[in-house]
Amino acid sequence: MNAQQTNTAHTPVAQTVIVVGVSKVFNVGKPSEVSALTDINLTIEPGEFISLIGPSGCGKSTLLRLIANLIEPTEGAVSVNGKTAAQARVDQDYGMAFQQSGLFDWRTVQKNIELPLELKGWDKSRRAARAQEMLELVKLPEFARHMPWQLSGGMQQRVAIARALSAHPQLLLMDEPFGALDEMTREHMQAELLQICDVTETTVVFVTHSIPEAVYLSDRVVVMSPRPGRITEIIDIDLGRDRDQDTREDDTFYSSITVVREALRRVEDGTAGVRPRSGIDDR
Amino acid sequence: MSAVTAPDPATHPGATVASSPSGVVQKAWSIAWPPLAFGLAFVLLWEAAVKGFDLKPYFLPAPSSVIDAFFSNIDNVWSAARVSGTNAFVGLVAGAAVGVALSFALMRFDLLNLLVSPVAVALNAIPIVVIVALFSTMYPSTSEIPRRLMVTIIVNFIVLINVSKGLRQVNRIHLELLRSLAASPSDVLIKARIPNAVPYFFTSLKIAAPTAVITAFVSEYFGGRQNGLGYFIPSNFANSKTAIAWAYVIGACLLGLAFYLISILMEYITQHKRGPAPGGA
Repeated sequence: MNAQQTNTAHTPVAQTVIVVGVSKVFNVGKPSEVSALTDINLTIEPGEFISLIGPSGCGKSTLLRLIANLIEPTEGAVSVNGKTAAQARVDQDYGMAFQQSGLFDWRTVQKNIELPLELKGWDKSRRAARAQEMLELVKLPEFARHMPWQLSGGMQQRVAIARALSAHPQLLLMDEPFGALDEMTREHMQAELLQICDVTETTVVFVTHSIPEAVYLSDRVVVMSPRPGRITEIIDIDLGRDRDQDTREDDTFYSSITVVREALRRVEDGTAGVRPRSGIDDR
Repeated sequence: MSAVTAPDPATHPGATVASSPSGVVQKAWSIAWPPLAFGLAFVLLWEAAVKGFDLKPYFLPAPSSVIDAFFSNIDNVWSAARVSGTNAFVGLVAGAAVGVALSFALMRFDLLNLLVSPVAVALNAIPIVVIVALFSTMYPSTSEIPRRLMVTIIVNFIVLINVSKGLRQVNRIHLELLRSLAASPSDVLIKARIPNAVPYFFTSLKIAAPTAVITAFVSEYFGGRQNGLGYFIPSNFANSKTAIAWAYVIGACLLGLAFYLISILMEYITQHKRGPAPGGA
């Protein structure tokens, strides 16, 4: 259906992310115990762009953090690049970007991008060369020596993406990265992100609140419902891989938005039934 | 996919920050002249009041006679200021060193933090300086150590509270990011916690520097050798040599100002690249 054919350079066989029977309960055994995720199954192929969408409290950020191994599942298992999520984190198999750019304001733009490479123990000249390459990728080549506070919000977010991709991970995990940007900047950033992922053949898991954003970016949109968080539907978006600003006026774009919106409405109504386990990841 | 060419719509604010040196001087002057004019007017009014109401010198000396006393006693004022300045400086450096070391220890050992932090906050709020009298009984009467010890203790708590905050209140995203990059605890310390604490450290120095000078004066007043500004100011007042006492007060003001300026300068040198300071106490 999508991807796969372009991804022979890296691990050719394994799925990028496999989530099997994952549940997450916070504050186990305390009065504040809350079940964030229940019985999540999800497989992500190399090169895919997946969005997680759903109302607040549906656990989409939690799912992203489980894949990132920032938290451990209460039940079930997560594998990334054929390894445990923990090993994948240690190996820096993924990059991560957050809603706030999270740049270090005492570091120049270049030094921010070099951070993952510093932790990998790269030498200075190799780091600098990669940082410049990443700056060109995100179209900020002349800003290497600027300080983050001298950049606009959109530029800061681009630097954060450059940082996330600087070690050339195959997987990019993004938690509402464009949530704080204005609409026009946001649309630019979305188009650029698709372009970057095209060039770098990166698999993306993208958490968002925005239906058009999810549809525009994704190969598949994962719709989630709250209390407890679970996957109710996975919707294929048939917009092809070549998407540009005109895609936003495409009929398929609108009809896909409608499909996702209706799925979310079923979540709100509570009519989105728990589908049998075998059906959830059935494409 | 078509190329997206348009760069970010927002302009980049860094370009507007720099301005010409003459513009800086002009701006400084526009800020400085009202308080300078006010100060000058106050001194002139004081002079006029002393002359006009024929106030006795032992009650309130005229500014002209204070300035006169200041310059005719400049050597004495200078040597007293050197004693007080050294006491304040030694205590400031020692207190900052101990405060920084202790805040690292508190960050590392939670139990220690639980024990020390509330005490530090409480001690910061009370006039602990009076315990210098206790120290004075522990050392020979000619020793400067009790005074320096007192300054050290007070500076230590100011630095400790602020630097601890800087080491702990790290941006949550920075911590998540570093965890996602499999950073070790020492990486987190070096790459996030320490740089985050730097502005807090300079903020604490800015508070601590004038406090160190005041603490030195008060400590000198409480006994020990009769050599610092904190001794000469009250003793001259007590002997009705008010003009000379005021001359020492001028010396004290200049010393406090010098300490404050040095701390501001240090902060500027290390911080101006960072832009608007996020931290602070």
